[in-house]
Amino acid sequence: MLKSLSMAFLLMVGLTGCAYNSVFVNYPSQIAPYKQQLSSDIPTANINELADNISGNDGLLYAQEAGRIMQVSGDFERSKTYYQQAISAYQAFDDKAIISASKIGSGASSLLLNDNAIPYRGPGYERIMVHQYQALNYLFSGDAQGALVEVRRSNELQSIEQARYQKSQKSVQNMANGTIDAQMAQLGQSAGSVTSSFLNAYSYYITGLLHELANEPNDAFIDYRKAAQITPENRYLQQDLVRLAKQLAMPQFDEFQQRWGDAVMPTAGQGQVVFIVERSFVPEKQSITVPFPINGNIQSASLATYQPQRQLTTASLIQGLGDNLEAQNIANIDALAINALKEDLPAALFRQAARIYAKYELNQSVQSGSRRANNQVDAGALVMQIFNVISEQADRRSWLTLPRQAQIAKQFIDAGDYDIRLNNSQNVKFEVKPSRTTLIWAIETGNRTRFYSIII
Amino acid sequence: MKNLKLIFVLAAVIGLSACQSKVEYGDATEVETVNENFGSTDLQDIAAKMVDSMMTFPPVVVITQNNRPIIFVDKIKNKTSEHIDTESVTDTISNKLLRSGKFRFIDMTKVDTVRKQLDYQNNAGMVDPTTAIKFGRQIGAQYMLYGNLSSIVKQDGSTKDVYYKMTMRLMDLETGLIEWSDEKEIRKVKSKSFLGL
Repeated sequence: MLKSLSMAFLLMVGLTGCAYNSVFVNYPSQIAPYKQQLSSDIPTANINELADNISGNDGLLYAQEAGRIMQVSGDFERSKTYYQQAISAYQAFDDKAIISASKIGSGASSLLLNDNAIPYRGPGYERIMVHQYQALNYLFSGDAQGALVEVRRSNELQSIEQARYQKSQKSVQNMANGTIDAQMAQLGQSAGSVTSSFLNAYSYYITGLLHELANEPNDAFIDYRKAAQITPENRYLQQDLVRLAKQLAMPQFDEFQQRWGDAVMPTAGQGQVVFIVERSFVPEKQSITVPFPINGNIQSASLATYQPQRQLTTASLIQGLGDNLEAQNIANIDALAINALKEDLPAALFRQAARIYAKYELNQSVQSGSRRANNQVDAGALVMQIFNVISEQADRRSWLTLPRQAQIAKQFIDAGDYDIRLNNSQNVKFEVKPSRTTLIWAIETGNRTRFYSIII
Repeated sequence: MKNLKLIFVLAAVIGLSACQSKVEYGDATEVETVNENFGSTDLQDIAAKMVDSMMTFPPVVVITQNNRPIIFVDKIKNKTSEHIDTESVTDTISNKLLRSGKFRFIDMTKVDTVRKQLDYQNNAGMVDPTTAIKFGRQIGAQYMLYGNLSSIVKQDGSTKDVYYKMTMRLMDLETGLIEWSDEKEIRKVKSKSFLGL
């Protein structure tokens, strides 16, 4: 009886072992080689192995990573397909029944193994960023209408996310009212903006920018205003708001002008350059494991956490446009990640407690059964204890190829050819045409900076 | 005993065939509700309503009484949050209008190809000049047909509401007047099932 029970148990663990990628191998170590490839000089990363995981349980996460890796390496078409797979996975989650058999199944295996057995479902900001990046994919492959579709999708998700926080956070209520309070600006300067830890100004800025590039200044104004509520100290954002308020003859123009100065308008023969600068990688989750005995059985608890990191504060310097241009911070993705983990913690703790109890009960049943069998060596119980300690792994999954920080810069300059440099990067050439916009997307990974540009 | 074996074989066959995926032909005009996204039924409804409305609108009836006006179709602008092939919607509408025998159409998507062909006929030196089609003999369109497809999506917990609105207009290119305009609204509500896989 005992034998067959433990056999069945082992078999089950063995089977689930194939299905769940991160159950026994921690997730950051799976992605590390790809991040290394992105930081090195290899032109395109080889992601076939990674892409094979998309059909698995955590497919959503692997699709996001694959999409991002292809995007950073400049293969926008392939990136588009991977992101599309991630988007379908999110939609499949949305369509799941309220009480679903597969959810209960994965919940049950998470009780015996660890939280990695639950299929990955990213936090709200990751889902919005998929659409934001997909919009850039469409834009850079020349489909402006497709880009706008993705922008509208991310607007829909942004409003859902905003509604989630609206009840508890006054600052988000103000955002819905369209005000930018001075208090908020002060808070942002002293303690690091609070709203920015749960809402992503970067996504709002990109959707705003794409609306503006598509000649929809009114929609752009709305998104810029929301971004400014989250990161009020960004000078380029302030300038955008003053300029659009003037152009659209908005009632807020006087107020904005008073606070941020007059609008800078392009003169004839000038074009616009917009820089999006993405820096570094978002930090990895670490795990804390605490082993402790209950009635002589070793149990252990593991939880994911973020190690405190030094701040990435330096503004990026763009040289080669006459006067040096300083890109300013718009969002810290690491702050969003930390906050998402904080929100998830109560549920994770609850699952952890339930799991310790389940494993303890399993131990007990194995032990008493083996004791009955004539005082033999208690091998079953020993195996169970080893299993407990090994199987207890913190859930360290998160989208790891995201940038850690996003910065922006914008300027009207005379049309012509320019040769620019970002911080210590190599020089790149680009062109500015009169009354057109040159969008330059710089992605800094490790010691390498990639530039993509398009004239719209 | 023999019967028992037969039952086993039958059960096995039934069991196996249940696992097999199968392909069937369906009715192209059947109502399709696989999910809440823009689908074939929406496309057909929009095209049917627009064509009916245009053909029965009194001023348009007057225009088409004695001659067949020439129309060109501008692409329908997709303002929804879905990637929709709006060219396919315009194709269906222009097909129906053309088949009614009351209008004639100019296809703007093929202008470049036509130019290349005429260039070949006139300048390549391969075609007998007497049979070559001359430049500048095409007939200009009198009307422009254009439109917008927009959507409002709302989601709350287990309910998702999608509202589509298609607006189409016919403009007289000479006077700039809108001769006809109509809209078609579609609303779809999706609620999550309580129990499922």
